[in-house]
Amino acid sequence: MKRRLISACVAALAMAGTAMAEPKGTFRQAHETGSGAQSSLDPIAKGRVFQITEKLMSRLVRPDMDGKPSPDLAVSWEANEDATEWTLMLREGVTFHDGSDFDAADVVYSLNRVLDPQGDSPARSAVKMITKVEAVDPMTVRLTLDTPFADMPLQLMDYRLRMIPEGSGDTIASTGIGTGPFKLEKFDAQGTTVLVANMDYFEGPPGVARMEIIGIPDGQARLQALLGGQIDMESGITPQQRVMFDASDRFYIQEVPTGNWRGFVFRTDVEPFSDPRVRKAVRLTADREALLALVEGGNGTIACDTPVGPTDQYRAEMSCPQDIEGARALLAEAGFADGIDVDIHVATLEPTWPAMAEAYQAQAAEAGIRVNIVQVPSDGFWSEVWMKKDVVVTRWNERPADQALHEIYLSTAKWNESYYKDEAFDAMLADARRELDFDKRKALYVKAQEHLQETAGTLIPYHVTKLIGVTSRVQNLDPVENMSIRWYKITVAE
Amino acid sequence: MLRMLVRRLALGAITVFLVSLIIFAGVEILPGDACTAFLEREAQGQLLENCRQELGLKRPASERYLEWAAGALTGDLGVSANGQKPISELVGYRLRNTLLLASCSMLVGVPLALLLGVVAALWRDRLADLAISTIAIGAMTIPEFVSATILILIFSVWLGWIPGIVLTSADAPVAEFFPEILLPMMVLTFVMTAHILRTVRSSVIEAMASDYAQMATLKGVPYWRIVFRHVLPNALLPAINVVALTIAWLLGGVVVIETVFNYPGLGRMMIDSISDRDLPVTQAIALIIASVYVGVNLAADLLTMIANPRLRTMHMRKG
Repeated sequence: MKRRLISACVAALAMAGTAMAEPKGTFRQAHETGSGAQSSLDPIAKGRVFQITEKLMSRLVRPDMDGKPSPDLAVSWEANEDATEWTLMLREGVTFHDGSDFDAADVVYSLNRVLDPQGDSPARSAVKMITKVEAVDPMTVRLTLDTPFADMPLQLMDYRLRMIPEGSGDTIASTGIGTGPFKLEKFDAQGTTVLVANMDYFEGPPGVARMEIIGIPDGQARLQALLGGQIDMESGITPQQRVMFDASDRFYIQEVPTGNWRGFVFRTDVEPFSDPRVRKAVRLTADREALLALVEGGNGTIACDTPVGPTDQYRAEMSCPQDIEGARALLAEAGFADGIDVDIHVATLEPTWPAMAEAYQAQAAEAGIRVNIVQVPSDGFWSEVWMKKDVVVTRWNERPADQALHEIYLSTAKWNESYYKDEAFDAMLADARRELDFDKRKALYVKAQEHLQETAGTLIPYHVTKLIGVTSRVQNLDPVENMSIRWYKITVAE
Repeated sequence: MLRMLVRRLALGAITVFLVSLIIFAGVEILPGDACTAFLEREAQGQLLENCRQELGLKRPASERYLEWAAGALTGDLGVSANGQKPISELVGYRLRNTLLLASCSMLVGVPLALLLGVVAALWRDRLADLAISTIAIGAMTIPEFVSATILILIFSVWLGWIPGIVLTSADAPVAEFFPEILLPMMVLTFVMTAHILRTVRSSVIEAMASDYAQMATLKGVPYWRIVFRHVLPNALLPAINVVALTIAWLLGGVVVIETVFNYPGLGRMMIDSISDRDLPVTQAIALIIASVYVGVNLAADLLTMIANPRLRTMHMRKG
């Protein structure tokens, strides 16, 4: 009996010893199943479930903890003199989950797939400046651009630009084969998707043995699942819900500043907002501190109408206090001494929109801007209201500075929601892309943002700080934006 | 009897047809279509054009409805607009899951309701009746999502006994739904029991006050013999109709419960398909639910007739 006990102890110790290095435990996370039955594992499809693809597949370049480019599948990169040609050196000895080797041909294939105009990929806009992708040798890739682009590595960090095996385009939506820290065991977008540790991951075996990514469409149900300990992480915690977590030692809350924003769009091509003085007046009336406190419980960073997030290296530091007198003067100058009437179209698609609109309504009234809130249905908001009505609410997720400025404000941008057309602004962006010196480039991006603060048709009061609820058993979860988290680092206590 | 059956079946078919027409029109009237719902902000230009072309949304609504109706008549429910999967495959498991939830709740709820209803009636205005009736009124008036949330809070968050949210896949074997199914089952049982027991209570009270029960009392028939031989068989007949309505409600009306508990049944699928503008799926589910309503009500009427000779002969004479 005694001998048996000792041998049992030895066995237990031996198991504990090996378990130190072995991945162990299960990490569970929910996703919204936003694309319903069209959900897919193709990283560049509209229906991609990024909570899954980000663990299965790697990018060429990934953001480090400060959001700057750092090596992923590319270990180094360099540009030619005018930044129209970029050469990337690839990581040696990497294999895909199906055992095949990763090399330049896979990169050429994956990028060309994004660039294919027939492919309709929403990721295309991030890299559409690339005209040619070629393999110089098996471990070197050269990108040729149609324009000088000093920040090409930033574009390659896009969360959708993940490398898949050459020729796998037709099957990737269900196989999910990549080079990431986890391998697919079972894909079920509406139910539970199971991933297992990839022991051959190039950064070493991940910390957890198994991940379950569970589809829970209803936000309230996701919250209940977190509270009941059925999932380990949920990112949509509201300031009101926060108290439930702060009071408990079974959870902790991570605060992650993001570049996500909500705001108002005033179309610059219609009266009276075609007059830049009126646009400036409607922005001057906003008390951003009060809006942030009222709507988000103070979880955010004041933005002076710049779409560039607070952690972005190109963010312009500006100040924008409420100025009622200034707004009145500008309105009078523009010929509206009696004030103006504004119909703001608001849906509940974004739960904070109605509160934001009502708080702004009260602030604007002080300057003689009579805001009328028009409730519209969430269904069809993007197709029937946004970019159609004169004044609407809007929301955007974080994008790198260059991408945000281009996609939302460039004269020719398809998502130019305020119909903003300004040649001087377009020229600043073009110059910035061409400029290889970082400080000069930053100065140009800052100038462009300052130009927006003067003339834009968008009122951006703040950038949101995301609250992420995590169960206490999870350790080493990087407190950063989703696209930067190193999933292989996570461990869970049994 | 047979003629009556045929007539009822024909009426049922017309009802189902009207429902499908109303649902189709209703979803058509909503702003946006399957493509704008899926593409959201990218619903512009060529991308939108391609999507609409692919899903055949460019044809007039009437044409699409007729095509669907023709298919449905031959048993072909069509292909899901979004997933390009046959609908019978998608709906099959969801229907099974909803049936599972419904039958579990019925198995507990119906006997419980009958028992409590009879107890409340026989001990009318005493403590047992007051307690049962008060709780029943509470169960009927508290919205399901409130009682659901409270139960999750108690059993899942505070006590940690039962998982709060159903995370099992739609196509998992039945056994895997336990114990997750317990909380939604409890909520449904709670509401359902309240409805049935109130009907049972009042009809038992009525029967106890009837002439034949008083006659039996005067004749000196023992109390429990009156209850079991004379009162209950008559009093429980009206309950059949309530039970039937409840079955129909369980299959079609549990949308809220399924959403709150993330239960992969027909109700949640209906919600998802409406927000995706997936008309073929919405139509198929509406068809199923409408057929269940019609079918269950017909079955209940037949059952009542079989159990009650007076109704049977009356219909025979008329029909």
